[in-house]
Amino acid sequence: MLVLIVLTALIMAPLGLFARYEPRPVIGWVLALAPLALFVVISALAPEVLAGGRLEQVIPWVPRMGLELRFALDGLSMLFALLVSGIGTLVVLYTAYYLAGDPGMGRFYLTLFIFMGAMLGLVLADNVLTMFMFWELTSVSSYLLVGYKHDYPSARRGAQMGLLITVGGGLALLVGLVLLGNVAGSYTISEILAAGEQIKASPFYTPAMLLIFLGCFTKSAQFPFHFWLPNAMQAPTPASAYLHSATMVKAGIYLLARLHPTLSDTPLWLYTLTGVGMTTMLIGAVVANRRDDIKGLLAYSTISKLGTMVLLAGMGGPEAPAALVATILAHALYKGALFMLAGAVDHEADTRSLAQLGGLRRAMPWTAALSILSSLSMAGVPILFGFVAKEEQLYAAVDNGLPPGLDIVVLVAVVTSAVFGVLYSWRLVSGVFFGPRGSGMKEHVHEAPAGMLIGPALLTTFSVVLPLGLLPATATLLQPAVNAISNEGAKISLYLFPSEIGLPLILSMTALLIGAVLTRFEPQIVAAPSPLPPWLNGDRIYDAAVDGVLRGATAFTRTLQNGRLRSYMTWSVLSLVAVVAPPLLFFGFNGLALPTLDGVEPFEFVSMLLIPIGVIATLQARTRLGAIIAASFVGLMVAYIFVIYSAPDLALTQLLVEILTTVFLVLLFAVMPASFEPLTAPAERSRDGLIAVIGGLVFAGIAFAASSSTELSPISQAFRAESQSQGFGDNVVNVILVDFRGFDTMGEIVVLFIALMGIYAMLRLRPGAGLARDDAETPAQPASPEAPAPQGNGQPGRPTPKEQEAPVAGKGR
Amino acid sequence: MNLILSLVVGTLFAGGIYLVLRRSVVKLMLGLVLLSHGAHLLIFLMGDGLIKARTPFVRAETGVAPPDSADPLIQALILTAIVISLGLLTFVMALAYRTDQAVGSDDLNAMTSTDQL
Repeated sequence: MLVLIVLTALIMAPLGLFARYEPRPVIGWVLALAPLALFVVISALAPEVLAGGRLEQVIPWVPRMGLELRFALDGLSMLFALLVSGIGTLVVLYTAYYLAGDPGMGRFYLTLFIFMGAMLGLVLADNVLTMFMFWELTSVSSYLLVGYKHDYPSARRGAQMGLLITVGGGLALLVGLVLLGNVAGSYTISEILAAGEQIKASPFYTPAMLLIFLGCFTKSAQFPFHFWLPNAMQAPTPASAYLHSATMVKAGIYLLARLHPTLSDTPLWLYTLTGVGMTTMLIGAVVANRRDDIKGLLAYSTISKLGTMVLLAGMGGPEAPAALVATILAHALYKGALFMLAGAVDHEADTRSLAQLGGLRRAMPWTAALSILSSLSMAGVPILFGFVAKEEQLYAAVDNGLPPGLDIVVLVAVVTSAVFGVLYSWRLVSGVFFGPRGSGMKEHVHEAPAGMLIGPALLTTFSVVLPLGLLPATATLLQPAVNAISNEGAKISLYLFPSEIGLPLILSMTALLIGAVLTRFEPQIVAAPSPLPPWLNGDRIYDAAVDGVLRGATAFTRTLQNGRLRSYMTWSVLSLVAVVAPPLLFFGFNGLALPTLDGVEPFEFVSMLLIPIGVIATLQARTRLGAIIAASFVGLMVAYIFVIYSAPDLALTQLLVEILTTVFLVLLFAVMPASFEPLTAPAERSRDGLIAVIGGLVFAGIAFAASSSTELSPISQAFRAESQSQGFGDNVVNVILVDFRGFDTMGEIVVLFIALMGIYAMLRLRPGAGLARDDAETPAQPASPEAPAPQGNGQPGRPTPKEQEAPVAGKGR
Repeated sequence: MNLILSLVVGTLFAGGIYLVLRRSVVKLMLGLVLLSHGAHLLIFLMGDGLIKARTPFVRAETGVAPPDSADPLIQALILTAIVISLGLLTFVMALAYRTDQAVGSDDLNAMTSTDQL
């Protein structure tokens, strides 16, 4: 069942391509049925989870690697799976209207469904490796969605940035998960959690957790990796609403929550997550107030809320798990709606700049009403679900698990971010819907199509209705998720108004009040200097890093790939020596005995002495002919070695080939104007000589080690014994070539044939003349300057083969 | 004996590498010839030992090749290698000839125009 849930979305993905045909809204409605069906199916499984059950399904995949498709559904997975499929339904519907005129809509749906399947797989996986695979798949589909408008450089940059950062973090995550799995002895999440004490005692706990944190922080846009999320706003708004607010960016939070029960109560966990989460929360909240682009504002407010979630996952305390779950739900509800509404405004008014928008409440009354309600929820104004979640956050912050001193800092930080939350919510609503009519908008702005408002309307309704009487039911639904995060039996109890007026309520009201007062000073706050020093600009650091890598790669390639064959050869020889020599020195000669000269005949030495002499003669030759003769002499001596050591076939072949080689060389040198004087400076020659001597020594070492080693027994015995019985031949070498290893010989013939074709092509084609010259209708092409063109040039028609040969032959000197 | 033959292999490789590092295309080809000789002898040394006067032929009286005859597999491998070396060398010769026609020089340093970034 669980596998089917994941696979359905992935298999469905190609159906998204139908959206390229009309009538698109209808197809959008039909496509939305798929995530809706998933939502219903998951809801149908809910009773079992609510009763405290846990559904599991295992499909072995690569058993020897511990890789299996293992899925499990518990409260936390269910919360995320319902969000993914539920908001997914609304986003699919919304896209049908948002991208109505866009030719690439089919491609968008395809990627969106792939993402949906990947995200469902991520939250349902019960094996860390399976989870990691889906984790990376969400990064890749996010890349494709952000880069959807691929003819815009900014979209490509945003896509690349998101991919590099999340996948880079993913790499760290993989190492961390493997460490964790090795320490726990299992890659199954439930077994890793069961081995929590053992992991915490292990020396690998710190590195593993730091690597996993890195993966979570990059994915969930935590400081200092947060800057990719605003750049990912280049994605079409449905993707921003879905991936970059409601679901994908919460994957890091999900993993932290998943590992929370048994791996969390350490100083490392406490201080890292508290520090990073708090910083991100504050920076996001402050920077959101400096943004002019409404999607940018929403992106930074998302970063702030993600920071809040990391803080809640980290700081401990009895109320934190409940607050985390409530925040996840509240944020998905109001932020998903706000993104879709921002998209509707962009769609109708053709701008997203707060400076250019304004006074839209008359033109877009429904959009305005929904935005105001969802923004109130974002600001944490009473009777909306955002308020309930904020109360929970404050309760958790008041009663946190941090040491004295630090707990006050966290409390102040949470209140501060609530104050700024009020401010940016107010900016969004007042800047878009109130005030004078904006200057940079389209002439006639209309209300968005009803199809685009269904999704936000539904989400906003939840934000409004849940606190009005449905809180006990919501708490019941969320309790299994809290159980999955906390192993200390934390209870979630949501309420609109506490029975008594305590510190949290006072702080909440104070934040609202300060926020309301601050709205009077909005221009000054927007113009205030950035809280971050200018050098700490993630965008700029990222650009510099990418630039540096490219420049480094170019410099490296220029050094190695400099167009000179000789330097390639030098690098090849040196690399070979570097790779081969150390193991050869350390292991190659162990236990080898120096050979004796027993049974060695004097004639064996002849060739051994003559070959080096031949080699030196080749090197020293003053004329080409002398060099050829010396080289052939070496070849003949090699044949002589084959004669001595019982290899008549080799000797014959070597002799024949040597004669051919010599003839070819003589022929070639007759037509080439080769000077034979040294071209290089003496210093260069001695350097090359040194390289050659080192290379020669290494190869001599390999040869000696290989010939003396007795570790492995040769496999030739079977060939000797079966040559006649199996291959019906007396010459074992021949039988091996044509029978036992016949395919090798066929490969050899193919290689020779390819070489032959290359030679033919090179000799037949004249410089400057293309292959097309044999076409009867094509007039002869003008020859290049180097080409001797006694005929053909200016003479239309097809030259006879004899004429074609002529210039080649005539080139000989 | 194999120690001495190993040194011969080293000599062949050293000479080959040195010639391959020269600027002249002709010396490059001679270097390839020496390198292939070295490679063949290197494979030869990897076999079942250097065995004199025991060819890997089936003896009529037993119907099998004697177990102490020279290693036939190594010989088959070298046979293939020799032929391929010839193919390679011929290809390089044709290449050198065409390059000489196109560039008008056999100096490898003059042939850098197509491979630069």
